[in-house]
Amino acid sequence: MVRLITHNLLACHVKGCNTNNFPLQFQDVQIELREADFNADFLRGFLPKIEWNALVDAARQLGDTSLPQEQPTMIDDDFLKALHHVLLEIHVEEGAMVCPNCKHVYPIASGIPNMLLAEHEIG
Amino acid sequence: MSISNSVRAVSVSGNPREYEDVHVHAVYDEIASHFSSTRYKPWPIIAEFLSSLPTGWVGLDSGAGNGKYLPLPYDRPGQLWTIGLDRSRNLLRIAQGAGGELREVVWGDVLDVPWRHGAFDYAISIATIHHLSTSARRRDAVKSLLHSISPDHGRALIYVWAVEQDSKSKRVIPSAQPEDQSSTEPQGVDVFVPWVLSDRTAAPEEKRPAGQHEAARSEDELKPKAKVYDRFYHMFAKGELEQLATDAAQAMGLYVGPRDTDSMAMEGMSGVEVCQSGWERSNYYVELRRWRT
Ligand SMILES: [Zn+2]
Repeated sequence: MVRLITHNLLACHVKGCNTNNFPLQFQDVQIELREADFNADFLRGFLPKIEWNALVDAARQLGDTSLPQEQPTMIDDDFLKALHHVLLEIHVEEGAMVCPNCKHVYPIASGIPNMLLAEHEIG
Repeated sequence: MSISNSVRAVSVSGNPREYEDVHVHAVYDEIASHFSSTRYKPWPIIAEFLSSLPTGWVGLDSGAGNGKYLPLPYDRPGQLWTIGLDRSRNLLRIAQGAGGELREVVWGDVLDVPWRHGAFDYAISIATIHHLSTSARRRDAVKSLLHSISPDHGRALIYVWAVEQDSKSKRVIPSAQPEDQSSTEPQGVDVFVPWVLSDRTAAPEEKRPAGQHEAARSEDELKPKAKVYDRFYHMFAKGELEQLATDAAQAMGLYVGPRDTDSMAMEGMSGVEVCQSGWERSNYYVELRRWRT
């Protein structure tokens, strides 16, 4: 699956593409929404490590505007529920992710992103 | 499956990437479902490692195979997120549903770092690095793990097959024949380990990869037309895995050793500590921890 928890970690790794290589931009995506078990403790622990702007922008690209542009200082249950939905319940099934810098296209098929590169593209 | 015990020595030749495509990746794509049905029990050291991690940590399983470690820890489900990476897309299709829940998987190469560097809190590499066919590539795979985890607190556990096999194992392992006799570093042995697929589970003929041959029909216990897939392994010698980890860390300019909090001289340093290493059931393992002062 490509959920936004994974998207927030992925970066372009084409040889020489070291700046502005994150976050990858979604292109022509098909998404599915699927419920996942809510775990507030996990979310609280993971929250400080999230690249927040990338998560908010990616969610908006996928049509979800529930997250605030700035990470809130007060972490309440409503916020954690919204975060849970964005990180773990939106599945990108088909489409692609494109590097904002070198425009390399990483295809997504059956929920599996293809991050393999050809030999000449490897750093 | 007595034939599966006949491990034989090989010497690697040609382009290592192409060699692994034939003798590792193509094989796993062919045997994926049969292989997966035999791989479900986590090793104790790995289960303990994952149980010890703080809630909210996110990790990488580099060479996740069928994803058997993605649901762990069983006693605290959902408190960690492990993302699986593998070269075999057929194994990833199985890993997507590991433990009866939807998992995150990525089709990629363990030598690459398709992530923000340092984005993961932890990484595991279980029974994977031994499929790389040169020591330089094995070292690069460890480097990629170290690049993937946090430079401040990242932890990594690596598990590889050992030349020293469990006494219960019936495998007969060819003795190590170091090519470079003058080398003082521990060297393992390169082998083919056959995987036997019976006719019932075998893939269609036209999908056969180049690394495969027909089993000898004189073997009475084999069904006719059982197919044998030779998988490449580098079986590690005692001390070799720790040496590999040390080489990888030093190649990245990292200090190897524990963080010394008392020493002012250590300020601004970045290092890797070998937290534990050992042998468990025919495998060597090493646990690494990154630190920064
Ligand atoms: Zn790029």
